Amino acid sequence: MTGTKSALVLCMDVGFSMSNSAPGEEPPFELAKKVIQKFVQRQVFAETKDELALILFGTDSTKNSLDQDGQYQNITVHRHLMIADFELLEEIENQIHPESQQADWLDAIVVCMDLLQTETKGKKYNRLNIVLLSDLNTEASSEHVDVIIENLKKADVTLQFFLPFPAGDDDEEGRGDADKGGLSHPGMGKGLSREQKSNLDMVKHVMLNLDEEDGLDQIYTFRNAIEQLCMFKCIERRPMAWPCQLTIGSSLSIRIVGYKSVTEEKLKKAWITVDAQTNLKEDVKRETVYCLEDDNETEVQTDDTIQGFRYGSDIVPFSKVDQDQMKYKHDGKCFAVLGFTKQNMVHRHQFMGSQVIKIFAPKDDEHAGVALSALIRALDELKMLAIVRYAYDRRSNPQVGAAFPCIKQDYECLMYIQLPFMEDLRQFPFPSLENNKKLIPSETQLSAVDSLIDSMMLVEENEDGKQKDMFKVHKIPNPAFQRHFQCLHHRAVNPGTPLPAIEEWLKAAIERPEVISERCQAPLEEMKKKFPLTEVEKKKKLKTSAQIFGKDSEEPDAKKAKGDEEEDDFNLANIAEGSVTSVGSVDPARDFRTLIKRKSLPFGDVCQQLTHRIEQLLGNKNTPYYMKSITCIQAFREQSVKLGNADLYNSYLQSLKKSISNRGLEVFWDLLVQDAISLISKDEVEESTVSKNEAHQFLLAEEKKEEATVPTAEDTGDVDDLVSIELFLFL
Amino acid sequence: MAEWNAYYRGEDEEEEQEEGEQSGGDYKITGRDSLVFLVDASKEMFIKGEDGEPSNFDMTMQVVRSVYTSKIISSHRDLMALVFYGTEQSKNPRNSFKHVYVYHDLDEPGAKRVQEVDSLRGGKGAQLAADTMGSGETSLGDALWCCANLYSDIKLRLSHKRLMIFTCRDEPHGGDSTKDRQARTKASDLKETGVVIDLMHLKKPGGFDVSLFFCDIISPPEDESELGLQLEACDKLEDLRKRVRAKEQKKRAQARLNLCLGEGINVAVGIYSTAVSARKPPPIRLYRETNEPVRSKTRTFHTQTGSLLLPSELKKAQMYGKKQIVMEKDEVDAIKKFEDPGLFLIGFKPMEKLKLHHHIRPAVFLYPEEEEVKGSACLFSALLMKCSEKNVFAVCRCVPRRNYSPRFVALVPQREQVDEGKLQITPPGFNVIYLPYADDVRTVDAPRCPTASQMQVDKMKEIVSKLRFKYRSDAFENPVIQQHYRNLEALALDMTAPEDIEDLIMPKVDQIDYRLGPLVQDFKDLVYPVGYNPENKSAAKRKTADTGGGAEKKPKVELPEDELRAHVQNGTLGKLTVPVLKDACKQFGVRTTGTKKQELIDALIARLAS
Repeated sequence: MTGTKSALVLCMDVGFSMSNSAPGEEPPFELAKKVIQKFVQRQVFAETKDELALILFGTDSTKNSLDQDGQYQNITVHRHLMIADFELLEEIENQIHPESQQADWLDAIVVCMDLLQTETKGKKYNRLNIVLLSDLNTEASSEHVDVIIENLKKADVTLQFFLPFPAGDDDEEGRGDADKGGLSHPGMGKGLSREQKSNLDMVKHVMLNLDEEDGLDQIYTFRNAIEQLCMFKCIERRPMAWPCQLTIGSSLSIRIVGYKSVTEEKLKKAWITVDAQTNLKEDVKRETVYCLEDDNETEVQTDDTIQGFRYGSDIVPFSKVDQDQMKYKHDGKCFAVLGFTKQNMVHRHQFMGSQVIKIFAPKDDEHAGVALSALIRALDELKMLAIVRYAYDRRSNPQVGAAFPCIKQDYECLMYIQLPFMEDLRQFPFPSLENNKKLIPSETQLSAVDSLIDSMMLVEENEDGKQKDMFKVHKIPNPAFQRHFQCLHHRAVNPGTPLPAIEEWLKAAIERPEVISERCQAPLEEMKKKFPLTEVEKKKKLKTSAQIFGKDSEEPDAKKAKGDEEEDDFNLANIAEGSVTSVGSVDPARDFRTLIKRKSLPFGDVCQQLTHRIEQLLGNKNTPYYMKSITCIQAFREQSVKLGNADLYNSYLQSLKKSISNRGLEVFWDLLVQDAISLISKDEVEESTVSKNEAHQFLLAEEKKEEATVPTAEDTGDVDDLVSIELFLFL
Repeated sequence: MAEWNAYYRGEDEEEEQEEGEQSGGDYKITGRDSLVFLVDASKEMFIKGEDGEPSNFDMTMQVVRSVYTSKIISSHRDLMALVFYGTEQSKNPRNSFKHVYVYHDLDEPGAKRVQEVDSLRGGKGAQLAADTMGSGETSLGDALWCCANLYSDIKLRLSHKRLMIFTCRDEPHGGDSTKDRQARTKASDLKETGVVIDLMHLKKPGGFDVSLFFCDIISPPEDESELGLQLEACDKLEDLRKRVRAKEQKKRAQARLNLCLGEGINVAVGIYSTAVSARKPPPIRLYRETNEPVRSKTRTFHTQTGSLLLPSELKKAQMYGKKQIVMEKDEVDAIKKFEDPGLFLIGFKPMEKLKLHHHIRPAVFLYPEEEEVKGSACLFSALLMKCSEKNVFAVCRCVPRRNYSPRFVALVPQREQVDEGKLQITPPGFNVIYLPYADDVRTVDAPRCPTASQMQVDKMKEIVSKLRFKYRSDAFENPVIQQHYRNLEALALDMTAPEDIEDLIMPKVDQIDYRLGPLVQDFKDLVYPVGYNPENKSAAKRKTADTGGGAEKKPKVELPEDELRAHVQNGTLGKLTVPVLKDACKQFGVRTTGTKKQELIDALIARLAS
C-alpha cells in the first residue's frame, strides 16, 4: 500500500503585480484566490483525506524554515500540511490580501519542496504535488533551476502551474487569434512583459524536463481552472468490488467481479436538528411513545408491544423471532442464469431498481476472462441477454434481472439491471389517442411539430462527420449538490447573511443551449398558432372542515356546531361538576375554556397546555384529529379575543403556518383556510399588530404559493365564514 | 365531544396512507377505492364445459379469489363486496330484496373472506352454493338496488366505485320488459352516483349478445372511440383474470404537471407509475395484552427544560471540516428549490443516444390531461407520432413536486399496441426515463482481460441457444413477498404450516443440465486449462476473508486519550477504522445511535472538542 491520500502545497503569488489589471478586468490576484477557494471548498465538502498546505509569496513578511541570511525572503508558510477545513476557507476569504513585495517563484518552489519533505516524513502518500499560482511578473534567478528539477524528480513531486495567460500560442485558447497575442486574457495588459516572457520560458523548461510528453498540459489558465472547478463532481466514490460466480446450471461457473457503475448518488450527510437558541443538538431530544387508541391515549411501554402485520382487514401478531424463522431464506450471494432471451423482449421502461452493475472477470484470472468474454460475445452476436437471479448477499432479497452484453473499445463486460416482479407491475389501460377523431392532429399541425423537432435537435453532425452532442446530461453535475455546497460554504464563511442566489453558470448549465433557443423561436411561434391550448377553468372545490369531516354524516357535524353555539351557557354546570385542572386530550377545547374561565392558571400557561395538545393531535395526521385541532384553535382564538390578548395566538398561528410544509400538514391548513381561521386583527383586539387585510392575506398567501398555476379565485365563502365567526365572537 | 370520538373510532386510522409517499402520489385526501362483484348464480352459470373445463361460476370464483389476495398485498384498504343474484335464498342488509344474496358486505378483504371464496370453488363449491343459495328467479334491478344500498351504507369516503357483473346470460329476465326497465333505471341511478358498471360476460352457447340488454346497463367507455366493452365473451380463465385486472386498479396520476415546450406552450400531462417495487408492508405495533394496534407519537422537547419544542424553535445543521453550519428549516427547503414543478423541454436526440446503462430509477409514464388544458391531447398526440416516426426522444428538465431539485429525463415515445382480443398491451404515451448526472456515474477501472476466440464464442452460442426462452415481465413472482403473505395467511387462518411457494427466480438446474448435456464440458475444455476450478479459488478466498473479517476476534485496540485528542485537533479522526472509533466511543462514554463512520466521528468530536 502506498497510501490513499495525497499531499498538496498551494503556492500563491500575492505580490504587487498580481493586483495589476487592465480596466474592467479582474486582477490576477482575485482570480487566483477564486481558484484556491473553489479548490479548497471542494476538498472540504468531499471530506477527502488529502492534506493541504498554503504558501504565499510576495508577502511583506517572511516566515519559513529556510529563511536565513537574507535568502528565501517574502515567502510565508501560511498553513502547514493538514486536512482542509473551514478555518482555511475563512482565512482565504478574510486574511489573504494583495501585498506589496515580490519574491522569486523558484525560491517559493524550494520552500514548498522543503515543506513537503519535512512534513510528509514517515507517512505514506500516493502523490506529492505543488500547485503554483502566479502572473510570473517577478525576476527569478535561473541558476539553480536544473538542481531544482533534479530534486523534484528524485522526490517524485509533480508540479502544476496556474497562470493568468495561456502557456503557448498553440494553446487551445490562443488558437486562431495568435495575432491578438491572447489579449482576451485578463492580467495580460498589453502583452507579456519581459519578465513574464522569460519566466514562461523557464516554466516550460521545467515542465518539459519533468514530463517530456504531457508536461505542458499541466499549465492552466485561471479562467479555465475556475470553470473546471465549478463543475467538479462533488461525490467521487470508489466502487466496491463484488466477487461472485456466474453460474449456468450446476456445473458451469465463471468467476466474476461486479461494480456498481451507475446509481443515484445522495448527499452523504443528513441535516441534524438543533435548538434554535443554542445551536446544540444535545438540547433537542426526540422521543417516540406508544399509546392505545382510547380516549385517554393511555401510554404503553415499548416492551409491552409486539409486532404484527396486516393481512387485509386482519392484523396478525407476528413476532420478530417467528418472522425470521419463517421468512424466505436463500443461499446468499448469487448470479445464476435462469435462461437467455432476445434483447428486444426486455423493455427499457421496465428496468427496476436504482443501479447498473458492471460485471467483469477478476483481474488475476485470465481463464475467467476468456470464459466471460465468450459469453459476452455470444450474447452480443445473437442479440440476446441473460435473465439472472441476483442476490447481493444472504441478508438481501434476491432479484430477477437482465445481464446485457456490453462491448467497448478497451473493455467488455456484462451490465446487470433489475427487472420487475409480477407484483410490481400496474397495468393501467389508457384511452387510445389515435382512434379518437377529435384528437387526431391535422397535417399542418404535424408538420409544425416536425419542424420544431428539427430545430431542436441536440445532436448534430460536424463537417467531419462526427456527431456532437451539445447537451450531455451525464456530464452535468447534480445542480442540487452544487447549490447545497454553495449555500453551506456561504453560511460557514459569512454567517448571519442571507443565502446567495443560484450561481449563473449553474443556471446556464441546466438551461436549453442558446443555439437551440434561438433556432426554435420561429417553429415555436408556429406551434402556438397551430395548437390552441386553453386552460380549463376549474372551480376550486370548497372543502370546509365540516364537509371533509362528515360528508355522509350530518350528525356529529351538527353536534359540533351546536356545541359552539352553546358556548356561552355551557360553562357553569361544567365547571361545577368538572374537576378540570389541565388541558386534557379528550376535549382540549372545553378544558381550555374552563381553565380560562376559572382563571386559576395564568393565561399563558393554559395557552401553552393547549398548543401542546394541538401539536400532539396534529402529529396523528388524520382528519378527525385535524378536526379536533381546529376546534382547539377556534377556542384559542375566541378566548384570546375575549381577553384582548392576541399575541400568543397570533405567534402560534404564524409558527404553525411556517411548519406546514415541513410537517406535511397541507391538508390541515386547507381546512383552516376553508374555515377562515386567521390571525386576530386590530379590528378585534386593539393591541394586535395585524391589520384586517393582513389577517385575510395570511390565509391566502400560502394558497397562492401552493397552487401557483391555479388562479385563486377569491373565495366568497371565506369572507362569509369570517363574518359569521366574528359575529358569534361578539355575541 | 366524547360521542364524536366514539363515533369515529375504528375507522380513522391512516386515512391517508403512505401510498402517496411510495408512489409519489400527490392526491391529498383520497377516499378508498371500492369494487363490487355482482355474480349471476343461475343454473346456467354452473354448467361445466366440455372436457372438464370449469364452469363459469367456478372460473368467476377463482378470479374473485385472486383479486382478493392481490388486493390484500397491493391495496388492502380497498373495499370489496361479493353479491350473487338469481339465487333462491336471499340475504341482504334489510332483507328487502328477494333472490339477492350478499355473500360479502363491502369491506376490506381478509383471510376469512379468502377462505370463504375458496369454499365456493370446484365441484364442492358448486354443491355448497346450491345448498346455501340455490338458483332462483332473477331481478337484476333488485340486485343493483341492493348494491346501491351497500354503497350508501358505507360511512367512508369512497373515491372510486366500480361494479362488475359476471354473467353468461344476455337476457337475464327472459324478455320481461318491466324487469328490464327496472334494471335500466337502477343502473342509471348507480351510474349517477359515480359507480362505474362493467360487464364481464362469460361464454354462452350461441354467443353472448351484449346489444340485447346489457349495453344499456354498463357505463359508457372512458374513450369515445372505443366501444368500451369486450365484444367477445371470456372463455378462458387467463383472459378473464386479465380483463378483471385491467379494470380493477384505478389509475391515478402521481403528479399533474405542465410540459412546457416554450414560452406559453404548456401541455397538461399526468405522470403515472406503472411499475413500483412492491415491498413487504411495515409491521404494526400491537399492545401485548390485547393485540390491539397502538399509535406512536413522536415529540421533540428540550433536554434541559423538558418543554415541548415547536418547529420554530428548531434549526438544522451539518458538520463539515470541524464546523457546524446552521440553517433555518425553510432555508433548507429553499436550497432545494430551483423552480416550480413542471417539465421543461430542452430538445431532442436520436434514439441511439439513449444509453442502456443510464438508469437510476424505474421509469414513469406520461399521458395528456385534457381536463386541465384543452388541446393537450392533440398536441401530445402529434408530438408522440412525430417523435416515434423520426425515432427521437425528448430531453426535459423535470421538477416533479414542490421543493424538488431538477433532474433530467428522456421522454421516449410509445405507440399504442393491442392484442388479438383488442386488449391494450401497451398504452400510448411517453415513457419517462430518468437520466444520471455526472455525480451518478462512477468511474470503474475495467480490468484488461483477454478476449475469447471465435471457436469459444461459437460454443457459448450453442449453450445460449439451448437455454432460450420467451421473457415476460409478469412471469416472476417475488418469493420474499409471497412467502411473507403465505406466512401471514397461515397464521391468520390457523393453518399448521404455510402453503409452499414456488421460487420462480430459482434456476431450474436439472433442466438446464439436461438441456446442455455435454456442451458444458466441451465449453470448459475450450476455455479452462486442466485442473482449473473456478469454485475452488474463490472458496479459498472466501475462507481467508471470513477469518480475517471477524471483528470480535481482533484484539481490542484502545487508543490513548491524548492520541485521540490529537486526531480531533488535526481533523484526522477519519484515518481511524470504524471498530477503533466504536471502542473510542465506548471508552469516553459517548452514546451513538449510528454506526456510520461519520456519525461516530461527529459524536467523538462533539465530546472531545468541548
